[in-house]
Amino acid sequence: MSTQHFAISLDMINRHYSEPNRNRYESKYYWEELYTLIAAAGFDSIEIPFEPVWQFGGRSGVPMTQYSLNTKYGNTEQYRKLLADSGINRVSAVSFNANLFVRNDQLGFYFGASGHFGSQAIAFASELGADTLVLSPTAYAGRLRHYHPHLQVDDKQFIEQTKALIEQLSETAAKTGITLALRPEYWSMISIPVLLELVHQCPANVKLAVNTAHLQLAELDSVAFIQANAKAISYVQLADTPLTTSQSFSQSASPEFPSQQATQVFADVGTGSVPLTDVIKTLTDQDYSGDICLCNHQTRDPMRALLRDKRFVNQLVSQAKGV
Amino acid sequence: MPNIRYAYMNHWKNIPYQKIPNFRDFYYQDKSNTAYYSDWDNLLKYQKALGFDGIEVAPWDLADIIPLFGSADAFRQFAAERGVEITGMFHGAHASHDKSKFEEVVKAGKDAVDTIVGFGGTQMNTCPTDNYCGIGPLSREEVAQCAHVMNEIGRYATDHGVKLGLHNEFFCGINLAEHREFIELTDPRFVHYCIDTAQIAIMGEDLLDFYDTYAERISGFHLKDTADPQQPDNVRFSRDPEIQDDGKRWFWELGKGVLDFPALYELLKKHQYKGWITLETDGSPDYLASMAMCRYYINDKLNPIYR
Repeated sequence: MSTQHFAISLDMINRHYSEPNRNRYESKYYWEELYTLIAAAGFDSIEIPFEPVWQFGGRSGVPMTQYSLNTKYGNTEQYRKLLADSGINRVSAVSFNANLFVRNDQLGFYFGASGHFGSQAIAFASELGADTLVLSPTAYAGRLRHYHPHLQVDDKQFIEQTKALIEQLSETAAKTGITLALRPEYWSMISIPVLLELVHQCPANVKLAVNTAHLQLAELDSVAFIQANAKAISYVQLADTPLTTSQSFSQSASPEFPSQQATQVFADVGTGSVPLTDVIKTLTDQDYSGDICLCNHQTRDPMRALLRDKRFVNQLVSQAKGV
Repeated sequence: MPNIRYAYMNHWKNIPYQKIPNFRDFYYQDKSNTAYYSDWDNLLKYQKALGFDGIEVAPWDLADIIPLFGSADAFRQFAAERGVEITGMFHGAHASHDKSKFEEVVKAGKDAVDTIVGFGGTQMNTCPTDNYCGIGPLSREEVAQCAHVMNEIGRYATDHGVKLGLHNEFFCGINLAEHREFIELTDPRFVHYCIDTAQIAIMGEDLLDFYDTYAERISGFHLKDTADPQQPDNVRFSRDPEIQDDGKRWFWELGKGVLDFPALYELLKKHQYKGWITLETDGSPDYLASMAMCRYYINDKLNPIYR
């Protein structure tokens, strides 16, 4: 196994939360050096979040919308050339969530904006040559319930509306050969068992994206989950966490930031307690042939995280060789 | 009671915690400075300690602040307990030049006024319309339409105890050629002006002459320095010029650029300005350090002139 099998998610760069030096992430130069550093760490694929916020307000230095790429590079082709010249040969997936659209008591706005920008995310993925859109099935449950207090997890009407949205997006995705990979999440308005049923009811291009940290935070065993759902899994995000439950914060408005006990929920790959080596072995046993993306969401230091990724992969290689 | 009260424009981006109850433990998790920049409790205390008794929020803060605190009023109370007032909110009057969007733009403006009232604020600093690139140059009718929209929103704001202050960016559709004409088209009873010292200087206005001319209309300041006044059209009219590709900064801490703040304060004294002045540190890699640098400059250079 070589590093070439793994992608790196650009989600490791903190775009949204306060920290010193954060604003450099809004300039083009930062990302253009980052691509070369990802390649220098031995990785040649990236996953890109699609975030409509960067097409408003003049912050197009963040390469996470089509508008950004067109503004800074003229077109996607030029951007992909820049990536290739930097050692990045492939975009493994684009990811998208609808948290931005939970800002009022109009559910019609939430679903309408999710559909509109979800379609843009699919087009973005297609332009970038990605096969997959990793889709968060719902926004944060706690944030939805802030504006819609009547909503409960697995609300039937909400599920039906979500299913209609997913089917609409899957039709759009099918036209360009994109797979919609729904990501089971610990903070969702749709519980994971219900989501699994929903995936089975959806068109063939709707699959599952496994994020190992989310599974552990939902108190699920990643290895057992992969074994049980192998046929439905089309994308894997290898992510770590030191936590084994999220019960006290999963339904809060900001479920990545437990208010009673501040903590870093997501850890750099290999520094939490998710049995990542076992996950890789299980994927191999299941003849999984899709992409695996290393995710360092909430990292305090992206460069250190990259080297931790490299260390993790080196350990896998050593184990494979029996060293 | 001083004539000038100082506030801070919220540039912190999203703050995930109200207060960190386990500060030491949180620090030890990664031994970085994350714990120091993650909660409103400390950030408000930092600015209070440095003599910034107000905070201006921005519309893009609302999606996180409101769910985090439960309501605008809860945030107001939380800040007040730490000695900080919410002075108001920035607002962008997108597409105000477009007659066909009149109702939509005025409604958005009125909604923003309501939000500010919820926070207990009194100022709505308003960018008149979209960026120049994409809409400029505006016709005289379009400039007049912008003014018409400002008058309508300003009337509603005034009725609700809020002052609408025009806030021109150097890359705005209302730009140097029509800046003063636009101001003259607005109703002074309802529409005021918030001078962003760096933005209007970069746009090409003479900061001192502008303030001296419009002193009676001025409802506030966004105080920051620049090393690049009077930028040419091709910079101001370019697409998304505020964040430069190579990391070049337009905005600097007071005294680190070229603006003559002592002369401005002489004019504040001449016109006996009374009200909020809001420090901005956008562009800085370290807002806390910038805030402290500016506080030293204010105490050392500006307070002796007028306070």
